[in-house]
Amino acid sequence: MKRYHDIVGDGGSGILEQVAEQRSRIADGLAGVRHLVAVGSGKGGVGKSTLTLHLAGALRARGLRIAILDADFNGPSQARMAGVQRALFVPGSHKVSLPRTKNGIAVFSMGSVIAESEALDFESTASGESHTWRATREFSLLGEILASFEWGALDLLMFDLPPGAERTVQYADFLGPRTSFLLVTIPSEVARGVVARSVAALSKGPNRLLGYVENMSGYYCRDCDAIKPLFVSADAQNTPADLKIPCLGTVPFDPELARHCDQGFPLAALANTPVGRALDHVAQQLLDTLEPEPSR
Amino acid sequence: MKFLCVPCDSPMKLQTVGPPDRGSLSIVYSCPECGYEIAMLTNAYETQAVQSLGVRIGPETSREASADAGAGCPFASMIPATEDAQRGQVGEPAPVRWTAAAEARLAKVPAFVRPMAKAGIERYARDNGCSEVDEKILEAAREFFGM
Repeated sequence: MKRYHDIVGDGGSGILEQVAEQRSRIADGLAGVRHLVAVGSGKGGVGKSTLTLHLAGALRARGLRIAILDADFNGPSQARMAGVQRALFVPGSHKVSLPRTKNGIAVFSMGSVIAESEALDFESTASGESHTWRATREFSLLGEILASFEWGALDLLMFDLPPGAERTVQYADFLGPRTSFLLVTIPSEVARGVVARSVAALSKGPNRLLGYVENMSGYYCRDCDAIKPLFVSADAQNTPADLKIPCLGTVPFDPELARHCDQGFPLAALANTPVGRALDHVAQQLLDTLEPEPSR
Repeated sequence: MKFLCVPCDSPMKLQTVGPPDRGSLSIVYSCPECGYEIAMLTNAYETQAVQSLGVRIGPETSREASADAGAGCPFASMIPATEDAQRGQVGEPAPVRWTAAAEARLAKVPAFVRPMAKAGIERYARDNGCSEVDEKILEAAREFFGM
């Protein structure tokens, strides 16, 4: 009796063909992108989205062609922060054009599609059982976005990932080995511990770990014009987890940056502040890591 | 998943997919050698698991035919201000026609943003005194919105 692998094709359902075609359309859509960088953490609330947008801005200021895909479909924030909440999606001759920020960064965010008063929901034949299919459906949506929108020729496509160490690994699997990871932590032992788990999980796969950024590394007091501690330093007995990947920089918390994000203002307004300089430094470190100077 | 006709040792071929019934699909396979038919009846979880891959179930011809009508926009109900939603309200907008070429472009927009894209482009056309969306309007909209 024939076994599964003795039979060519799938008898006409075309499921495998359709999945292969999706993967081919994704690869085709990303063929013009030089670097794919996923900004993740594992921990929520550490500033992944803020850093993604402002690192993109700092790289764009260097003349690079940049796009952001807000992969946090359930808690999208890039649309508001990038000022593309009321974006219009217009079909081009081959693919759908992406809205751009004023400084020319292409952005896809579900926040441009669904109002903040609504939650992402999918039609389902198995309502009440979303734990059995929801992640698959979201990755299928990610594939559709990668395949249908006009990413074009880019120096960098940045993915703003949702929280969750396991989700970070799922994105690595889905996006494939071309995608490098930049992780974000804050100076809290709890956050570092979670990020350390993400590092451990990602280290098992083929994706490159570029390094990490320590966000909220103190706060900038405008009255004193000084950086002050935001988190109590670690107890000598409880050494913070060693992340075992390079630190690309530290970025202080600045309430003005938070205000800029809420209102969709560009980073340029904060260029000459400690947070602006720190973000610019991290952007340069990221670029140097991605494209090291050729050895002489 | 593949089906084998054991007496013939021959792979069975998908014939038809019945319309969904409370989340269940009836998928008929037949043996090309002896003509014996079986039906696979999925439960709602199985249907949903496969549909979550973003694929359509059925013979190729029916997949093509149902490309627009099948899955549709998974969260159309959450997208405000679609053309249909605007109809019947006070100040109903003037209807806007689409040329075949412009409609072909619109079909490339993923289903989940298509209603929103269509409504926005029609609004742009109306605002510019046009009653028809053609490729020139689409290019102008791209330019206008800085794409």
